[in-house]
Amino acid sequence: MSDFLRSYLTVFWFGLAALLLASLLLGIAVLVRPSRPNREKLLTYESGVDPVGDGWSQSQIRYYVFALLFVIFDVEAVFIFPWATQLERYGTFGLVEMGVFVGVLLLGLVYAWRKGVLRWV
Amino acid sequence: MTLLATTPTTTWYLVLGAVLFGIGAVGVLVRRNPLVMFMCIELMLNAVNLSFVALAKRLGDIGGQTTVFFVMVVAAAEVVVGLGIIVSIMRRRPGATADDIAELKG
Amino acid sequence: MLASILAQVPWQAPSIDYHAIAPEIVLAAGIVLIILVDLFVGESKKWVTASLTGFVLLGALIPVLTLAVSDPDARSLFDGRYVIDEYALTLKALFLIAGYVVVLLSQNHVEEGDYYQGEYYTLLLTSLTGMVMMASSRDLVSIFVALEFLSIPAYMLAAWRKRDRKSNEAGVKYYLLGVFASAVMLYGMSLLYGVTGSTLLSEIGRQITVDGDFGGVHALAIVFVVVGFAFKVSAVPFHTWAPDTYEGAPTPVTAFLSVASKAAGFVALVTILYVGVPQAKDVWQPFLWVLAALTMTVGNLLALRQSNIVRMLAYSSISQGGFILMPLAVAGTGDAAGPALQAVVVYLLVYAAMNLGMFAVVIAAARTTRSGEISSFGGLFSYAPGLGVLMTIFLASLAGIPPLGGWIAKFAAFRAVLEAGNGWAYGIAVIGAVNSVIAFGYYGNVMREVWMKPAPNGETRAVATPTSLVAALTITGAATLLLGVLPGTVLRFGDLADLVGAFGR
Repeated sequence: MSDFLRSYLTVFWFGLAALLLASLLLGIAVLVRPSRPNREKLLTYESGVDPVGDGWSQSQIRYYVFALLFVIFDVEAVFIFPWATQLERYGTFGLVEMGVFVGVLLLGLVYAWRKGVLRWV
Repeated sequence: MTLLATTPTTTWYLVLGAVLFGIGAVGVLVRRNPLVMFMCIELMLNAVNLSFVALAKRLGDIGGQTTVFFVMVVAAAEVVVGLGIIVSIMRRRPGATADDIAELKG
Repeated sequence: MLASILAQVPWQAPSIDYHAIAPEIVLAAGIVLIILVDLFVGESKKWVTASLTGFVLLGALIPVLTLAVSDPDARSLFDGRYVIDEYALTLKALFLIAGYVVVLLSQNHVEEGDYYQGEYYTLLLTSLTGMVMMASSRDLVSIFVALEFLSIPAYMLAAWRKRDRKSNEAGVKYYLLGVFASAVMLYGMSLLYGVTGSTLLSEIGRQITVDGDFGGVHALAIVFVVVGFAFKVSAVPFHTWAPDTYEGAPTPVTAFLSVASKAAGFVALVTILYVGVPQAKDVWQPFLWVLAALTMTVGNLLALRQSNIVRMLAYSSISQGGFILMPLAVAGTGDAAGPALQAVVVYLLVYAAMNLGMFAVVIAAARTTRSGEISSFGGLFSYAPGLGVLMTIFLASLAGIPPLGGWIAKFAAFRAVLEAGNGWAYGIAVIGAVNSVIAFGYYGNVMREVWMKPAPNGETRAVATPTSLVAALTITGAATLLLGVLPGTVLRFGDLADLVGAFGR
């Protein structure tokens, strides 16, 4: 077996351990706890909210604007992370460049703010 | 076990990239939902990213990897613009397919 | 892995020649300024953004002029990835002036239509910045970034009338095909990078030689890249988006797309062919030959049967694109490289003037006729003689009648083709000549409407043309006439030795 695949062996063992541990804990719980099912208990748990409708329901269109805004920060992160690891070598030049970059991105956020997109209506 | 005994080479990634690119291209040409067509284009862009990274690794050159950053950022910008346009058309005509979008022709 | 590679390279801040990139800096600062102004002025004062955009464009033109007169040597930045030479400066000036004319065209249209003014001009400026960057880009990455910089705002501009189905459709079609094309082009670029180990065009030019190990991957890479740009310049069979987008988009945006965006596509194509892969001419010459022949013919034949003037202009601009491709199809043969480059640049300059002028007339006349049908322009001369005469000038120039600009452009294109002087060249020249004759058909049809037909509904009141449109008409009309009367000037602009060297004969 090649080195490449051997290094994946760790992943395999790790996954197996996780699977065993989870089934062990849940298995003990099943054996130990009393079983008295009723209608409420059998409902699907959905973060405390009553499950309504099916899984393909439409989500609020409002979220979509935030998804678009997310891209501002997403793009920022893609460039800032590699830059941050090398900032010391880039010195003042690098700092100013990134300042300009972030400044332009901030402008996008200011635009969204002035247009009232950030308010949850 | 011969397959297991080999370490993946750049070629593997390039072939994978080509296959993904092909799936994406066929998807754009065959599918009729604007949103799905758009997802297929994203798949093509990611295939390009994969080949750039694989080639950069083989050449030992940083250029290919930096290119990927630009492609990712541009793809993000395209997503925003594309979703905006597609949502505006879907609001006017729910369930429109690319064939229905034929106000203009000739 | 990234960090380990970076750690080995000593880093030093790149020395930036601020004079060389001053046009881009002015444009970028202008974009920021206009967004801020738009955000903090009241609805009634939004027209300020239009004037500001005009000033920014003229402001960006100043460093272009100072660079042109300062020294004749090319300035190279970022290890040759960004070059400011005569070629770049000529085209930057073209983009900025074309942008200025588009702003003049948009002013009333956007204000009366109550479209989002600030955003409109911001996006227009952003797209122009991309074009200005494109003229200087000499690296696959910077070409790609410049291309997207100019395309992404253009997608939004095409879909500008949000509540109009046609505009929505124009946007979606342009967007999907545009992004698809850039994905194809990028894949070609990744292959090109893989076989040469560099994204720098001059380095790629050194690596790709015919006698070396030139194989299928090289050819595929070049074809993919060319296909990507063929979409951008709407060459047949990659033109399908163009008529729909042109018809659906607001008319000033159509003018912008058909002139500036198309020119930017050609600029990138020329840069890649001349600097990046001149030695692979055996691959791209036949391909471009077929594209040019198809583009001229199909564009013309479809233009003949249009009844809507914007749609007719769309097909006519497709066919004009074929004439620009024509000299490129033989650029590598014999001594044709220099004349071909000259022909492309001259054609782009002239085409910008006459096509923008044509759209200006259509916009001005449509203020009265309220229709895009060709028949609605009947009798235009009788009630708006100025517009009628100008329309005739632009149509005659598009058809290539001397002594107008369009004639010089066609002349330069045919001269470059005949310079190549082999069978392929004569073949495309014949196709081009036949198409020039066909084009008279539809241009002449509009002229006949304007001069001979009576006005529909007995329309006779004079057209009130706003000042900004008058200015646009003056600029484009003067340019079309002058370029035709003084061919020496425009041919001088196209006399660019910088790029031709890479053919290495």
